[in-house]
Amino acid sequence: MWTTALLLLPLAGALVVAILPLPRESTAGLAFLVALGEVALWIAAAGRFDFDDGGLQLGTTREWVESLGISYSVGFYGFSLWLAGATVIVFAAAIGYGMWVGRDRSRAYHALMLFLLGAVVATFAAQDLLLFYVSFEAMLIPLYVLVGVWGGERRQAATVTFVIYTMAGSLLMLASVVAFGVTQGTFSLTESGTSDNVWIFLGFAIAFAVKAPLFPFHGWLPLAYREAPVEVAAVLSAIVSKTAIYGFLRIGIPKFPEPADDLSGLILVLACAGLVYGSLLAFRAPDLRGVIAYSSMAQMSLITIGVFAFDDLGLDGAVLQSVAHAFVSASMFLLVGMVERRCGTSDIDALGGMARGRPSLATVVLVAGMIALAVPGSATFAGEFLIMAGAYQQGWGYSVVVALGIVLAAMYTLRVISAILHVKPGRAVRDEALDLRPGELALVLPLLLLLLGLSVWPALVSESAFAASTLAELLP
Amino acid sequence: MIAGAWVCLLSPLAGAVAITLAGGRISRRTAGWISTLTTFVAFGGALIAFFGLWGEGHGDREHISTAYTWLESGDFEVEFQILVDTLSSTMMLIVSGVGGLIVWYSMGYLAGDDEERRYFAYMSLFVFSMLLLVQAGNFLLLLAGWGLVGLASYLLIGFWHHKPEAVAAAKKAFVMNAIGDATLALGLVLLVWETGTLEYLGVFEDLDSLSTTTVNLVAVGLLGGAVAKSAQIPLHTWLPDAMEGPTPVSALIHAATMVTAGVYLLVRASPVFEAAPDVQHLAAILGAITLLVAGVVALVQWDIKRVIAYSTMSQIGYMFVAAGIGAYGYALFHLMTHAFFKALLFMSAGVVIHHLGGEQDIRRMGGLRSVMPRTHLAFLVGGLSLAGIPIFAGFWSKDGIVAAAFASGDTLGYTLWVAGLVGALLTGAYTFRLYFTVFRGEPSELVTAQAHEGHGEGPLSMLIPVGVLSVLATIGGLVVIPGVWEPFLHWIDETAEPLVMASVAEDYGTSAIAVTLALIGAGLAHRAFRSQRQVITNPRIWHVLEHKLYFDELYDALFYRPSASVSNALRRNIEEPVVERSLDEIGSGTIQVGGEVGRVQSGLLRTYAVAIAFSVAVLVVVFVAVR
Repeated sequence: MWTTALLLLPLAGALVVAILPLPRESTAGLAFLVALGEVALWIAAAGRFDFDDGGLQLGTTREWVESLGISYSVGFYGFSLWLAGATVIVFAAAIGYGMWVGRDRSRAYHALMLFLLGAVVATFAAQDLLLFYVSFEAMLIPLYVLVGVWGGERRQAATVTFVIYTMAGSLLMLASVVAFGVTQGTFSLTESGTSDNVWIFLGFAIAFAVKAPLFPFHGWLPLAYREAPVEVAAVLSAIVSKTAIYGFLRIGIPKFPEPADDLSGLILVLACAGLVYGSLLAFRAPDLRGVIAYSSMAQMSLITIGVFAFDDLGLDGAVLQSVAHAFVSASMFLLVGMVERRCGTSDIDALGGMARGRPSLATVVLVAGMIALAVPGSATFAGEFLIMAGAYQQGWGYSVVVALGIVLAAMYTLRVISAILHVKPGRAVRDEALDLRPGELALVLPLLLLLLGLSVWPALVSESAFAASTLAELLP
Repeated sequence: MIAGAWVCLLSPLAGAVAITLAGGRISRRTAGWISTLTTFVAFGGALIAFFGLWGEGHGDREHISTAYTWLESGDFEVEFQILVDTLSSTMMLIVSGVGGLIVWYSMGYLAGDDEERRYFAYMSLFVFSMLLLVQAGNFLLLLAGWGLVGLASYLLIGFWHHKPEAVAAAKKAFVMNAIGDATLALGLVLLVWETGTLEYLGVFEDLDSLSTTTVNLVAVGLLGGAVAKSAQIPLHTWLPDAMEGPTPVSALIHAATMVTAGVYLLVRASPVFEAAPDVQHLAAILGAITLLVAGVVALVQWDIKRVIAYSTMSQIGYMFVAAGIGAYGYALFHLMTHAFFKALLFMSAGVVIHHLGGEQDIRRMGGLRSVMPRTHLAFLVGGLSLAGIPIFAGFWSKDGIVAAAFASGDTLGYTLWVAGLVGALLTGAYTFRLYFTVFRGEPSELVTAQAHEGHGEGPLSMLIPVGVLSVLATIGGLVVIPGVWEPFLHWIDETAEPLVMASVAEDYGTSAIAVTLALIGAGLAHRAFRSQRQVITNPRIWHVLEHKLYFDELYDALFYRPSASVSNALRRNIEEPVVERSLDEIGSGTIQVGGEVGRVQSGLLRTYAVAIAFSVAVLVVVFVAVR
């Protein structure tokens, strides 16, 4: 029941927003209310979730096409409930941002955002492979349109690249979904057994690798993150990327234990390469968005290392880091958006010196930045440490690469902080550029407070991510 | 007692939060008082904890208090817990006591700065983080404090963020320390796998079951963190640059407390290092190298704060030597007296800089004795203590370390002993070069000009802390009189049993030589000053030293430039042309073709639909067939 309500509320909201001929502000306000309602609903659902158990709960299953073994089956595990929680909160902030800047064609825009929210929640909740596939694909349609219509100057190129990459991934995944369902005789994730077919696994793995994105499947990332409206970029890097992690955790590893184990070396090496490659590119990217885009790629690689560590430390760390990175990445992108609105650019050369006279902006950027670079004591550090410890199971070299990632993260994040705040004002920074307004603070502060809360108590997520029975499926 | 320790830990945090939340609603002065008072409340808590322990029997002085489970995963748990024992309670006293004095002093020093509130919030954050570091009951919480002091240090070095040098210095300090954090974290990962816990006591119990290689690796990881935080060679280059921050920051963070965290770690984890004697000796050797190199470089610097900064590196080198040979009591003793006299030196230097309107170049100073008699006296006390002249605090602690090196015997011990003695000569020389140049001789032009316009010797809030520290730097070493009265050493012994103890004869013999050498050093400095020359006259050596042995240039060439050019090359040669552009062109090509034929949208969609259906069919067949 609860899960279904969480799916339906944003979808119904999308429909209402699209149909009702309200003026722009009212449409946006209505959409924001729906997003807040979704947060409230998630809190209520979480209140009914038994975190000590952590197994599949709040579920609903209805037969759909019995002869083909297709069902409407949804529900949450501990880890997917946390991912869904991050989703609803980040979307509330993103939709609030869209309202704050007053996106034009408001009905279409907000309907698409709400639809996207519903699709992401459905992806995290689906316990049927076809439902998962449909939700996974349903995320793409609003994203294409949101980037293609509301994006920056090169939005068309960005959209086309994004379409080609994700379509390729989708194709492979669809084939894998069908092949898996046919050989198993059912599409239900709870009822189907495991498969040792490497090719089917690869179909899923590549689709997830494109979505995350992992090196070298990240070709769509720089353009999409640069050209998308900033709150869409926030959602992309904070939330949509995590569906790939969920895919590995719910399908890739438990359904294909042998192929996942066989190929874990390859995936770990690619993830390590992505961590270093993304960090190095972030270190020299010429614009704020570029830095955050590549840092997001590095972080997703890190989380993937945690997943394929095949160890409970790594898995718990991956979930903790997924939630923390969702908030970090969303607040960083929204902050970049706020800087862009003031300065008209995110070129690092043209910015600087914004700390003087703008105490709120300075404080918020510093806090977000410090958590982003995983200063010891923060939630992100707790996650990285667990991943680093878990990766040791697969080989000490992976732990060393994670440690290297910590140093590189310090380098590129400090560069961003200084580029915005320090030294003398850049040519794009004028005195008229004001400090953050209360409305903007109201969007970013909750995210940062959640991060600070998670830093005080990271065990909240890490200990309740997996039930013992779930872990048994995830560990070879 | 435990309650006192918790008050000690949380009071500065409350101060930082209160100042941050109050924002512009409180005056700058109020922010200063909040920060100062909460730090003194912490000192009160530390006193309660200390005397609580004092009243207990020998062997019972070890208490753990757990608040909640901070991080948990499977069987692995890290609790938010504090450990109160003789070592941590001593550190709590030093950190909150000296910290409180320095924060108080800041109120006078910073008066009038636009962003004083931000400054005091950072200072309180720092004191909290440092207390977390020393009170933590397990390695991961220590690492949390470790990282947070690094963060506070970054914020405070870059406090004047409009100055490019300050921002660059802050970033450099953070990255250098991040390297240390990373090696420390890797050491902890090994401990997690080998012992299943990160609690000090649990780890120390399990050490016997670890292989030699593992223990060595863990110790190297910890040492890496210690070397970075304590600015020892080879991770030392950030400390001199950190002098870009306000002077009280240099006193608090870059002399009295944070940079000694490495020494604390060496003592705290002494069972680990004793199980890995090679690594422990490596710590001593790095300390010895640093104490010599920094001592020589200090001889040629022109910036008053940089001279003191190099002297800090050098003195921490002594502490590393002590911890490396197992003279833990002396390591901590020197840590304490150093906190007194080095904070005093920085604060007196701060008064001078304050008076001269921000000037830090000693070539423009001179003859300040007549203008600032009280500051002169304070600086002289600090200098005598630093140079290890009897009865001043530094004499008792430093000579004890050098004597312990002799007592530990064999080649290493004797080498360290010689290094320590040469260091004493150097210390005398650079300290008194600084003293003579700044305070003696005829007043310089700048000094004359500022005599009437300057700030004088500062307000009471600056004078009182300087006075208190002057007293401590004079008599603070009397808690150890070798062979006669050694309560401090016995106090620490309970937590870290020393491996080596100098005999009374070794102690007094070494002291006699060290003091003689320090006086010779001072004499050299005086002769050079009288003859208007420098202690080092060879221009070529001078040049090399003035460039700090080219460490910065070396690291730039070895690490920064390669990584920058690698990432630039990746961007230009792979990311942009291969990954981004290729599809970009396909994409725009598709749109163009589509547009010409006049079926942009529908055409594309239909093509995709057909392509999807076809390829899926093929793939399904392939997947099911090939298995």
